[in-house]
Amino acid sequence: MLLADARLPSGGHAHSASLEPALLGGMAADAVPAWLVGRATTVSLVEAGTAVVTARLLGGSRDGAGGPPDGVRLADVVRAWAARTPAPALRDAARLLGRGYLRLARNLWPDAPAMRVLAAHDAPHGQLPRAVVLGAIAAATGLPAADTVRLTVYDDAQTAASALLKLEPLDPLAPARWVLEACAAAEPHVPRVASCTTPEDIPASGSPQTEGWAQAHALLSQRLFRA
Amino acid sequence: MPDSAVDPVSAAVSGLLPDGAPAPAARALRLGVAGPVGVGKSSLIATVCRALGAELRIGVITNDIYTDEDARFLRSAGVLDPERIRAVETGACPHTAIRDDVTANLLAAEDLERDFDPLDLVIIESGGDNLTATFSPALVDAQIFVLDVAGGGDVARKGGPGIGRADLLVVNKTDLAPHVGVDVAQMVADASAARENRAVVALSRTDDTSVAELRAWVLGMLNSFRSGTHVAQDPGPMAPHFHADEDGGYVHSHDEGQAHDHAHTH
Ligand SMILES: Nc1nc2c(ncn2[C@@H]2O[C@H](COP(=O)(O)OP(=O)(O)OP(=O)(O)O)[C@@H](O)[C@H]2O)c(=O)[nH]1
Ligand SMILES: [Mg+2]
Repeated sequence: MLLADARLPSGGHAHSASLEPALLGGMAADAVPAWLVGRATTVSLVEAGTAVVTARLLGGSRDGAGGPPDGVRLADVVRAWAARTPAPALRDAARLLGRGYLRLARNLWPDAPAMRVLAAHDAPHGQLPRAVVLGAIAAATGLPAADTVRLTVYDDAQTAASALLKLEPLDPLAPARWVLEACAAAEPHVPRVASCTTPEDIPASGSPQTEGWAQAHALLSQRLFRA
Repeated sequence: MPDSAVDPVSAAVSGLLPDGAPAPAARALRLGVAGPVGVGKSSLIATVCRALGAELRIGVITNDIYTDEDARFLRSAGVLDPERIRAVETGACPHTAIRDDVTANLLAAEDLERDFDPLDLVIIESGGDNLTATFSPALVDAQIFVLDVAGGGDVARKGGPGIGRADLLVVNKTDLAPHVGVDVAQMVADASAARENRAVVALSRTDDTSVAELRAWVLGMLNSFRSGTHVAQDPGPMAPHFHADEDGGYVHSHDEGQAHDHAHTH
């Protein structure tokens, strides 16, 4: 799965998926595996649900679940995501990642209708967050909803795992196992999140501690990662 | 990123025409400044801003490794409106941010150009890396590679993509040469040879003549960029290598868009 590769040139290498804020905020390094599991079953699912609803809205669903009710627009999905992501620092970072993904996706799938909708939306409404762009990519590529959830969770966990190697001394093999464990922990949630069709369905399982760390991190003058 | 594949929508974003041709006059010249740690990249940018700030509209992006110190240094130097200086995080990989994944820098350049439209020049400082770090042409239109005399007189001769093929090589801090036992003229001659006579400037911020030379080079580059005659070059990750032949061989440098000068023998 191309998208889930940290080497993809879309700007992800400067992000730590909230890991650097957590470590600088006082989380112990040996808590990282548990933190990854926690993230995969909370924050990552907000992102995943947003991606799934976006994909349905943009007509990419091939699993017979149908699209959201008429009248739902992309702006409603973005609003639902923003309401579930209260920290401005995290929303800014997500929008930056979204721009990077969009830039890449427009190059890879220039003619996909989903990309055209995003481009049209981007100008009047401001930059779209990562989860929405991932959803559009899922629509453009016909990715099934369950895989969209898994992809979003994996992308998040792998971003943190790659950043971890720059932040803490450890054997690079260890985080690879933790990523697998985090993805496995998310697996029981996959059907529920994959069945989201309306913006209201998107899980509201954010993490206030993560939000707090993100805000503190954004004020630091010494950091390796954007967020 | 394959520029030939951009559609009109992304063309508006990236500043490229649909057929992949550059649209030079449409935006600022993006000028990269790379080179090892501490050679004076930030100082050189401050010097350029001081020398050209009155006639050009300039923006600066820094790529710090651990801190936003370079951005703060430049803001405090008072050579440019602090708002026009932005710092970009590089995830501990300054090399990646200017070459393998230039997204963060490109977005920052687009933002600066949008927020202060119109700009003439956007200077991007690479985080201090090693001799192999050079900018991708997907990010910058032209690049300066900086060395300093304190790094030793031999460095220029040793070569590397930035030394060999950046648009301009600066040998900086020439005022220190007597203290570190470096013969500047020899170092410049070595550099010129390694560069097959591409531009070299021996610079010291305390030597006005050298600053004028740097200033003239930047203005010249801006002119050829605007007129569309300058083609962004990729210095490449690879050092030029030597091919033996009966005449003694030739240096083979992989510059795109330039005929290989195989008649050039050593
Ligand atoms: N003597 C002398 N010192 C200089 C000159 N230019 C810069 N320096 C000094 O060299 C040191 C490093 O300069 P910077 O401009 O911070 O170098 P840099 O390449 O940006 O450093 P990094 O961003 O950390 O890689 C500072 O102490 C400067 O004052 C010069 O022309 N002459
Ligand atoms: Mg510097």
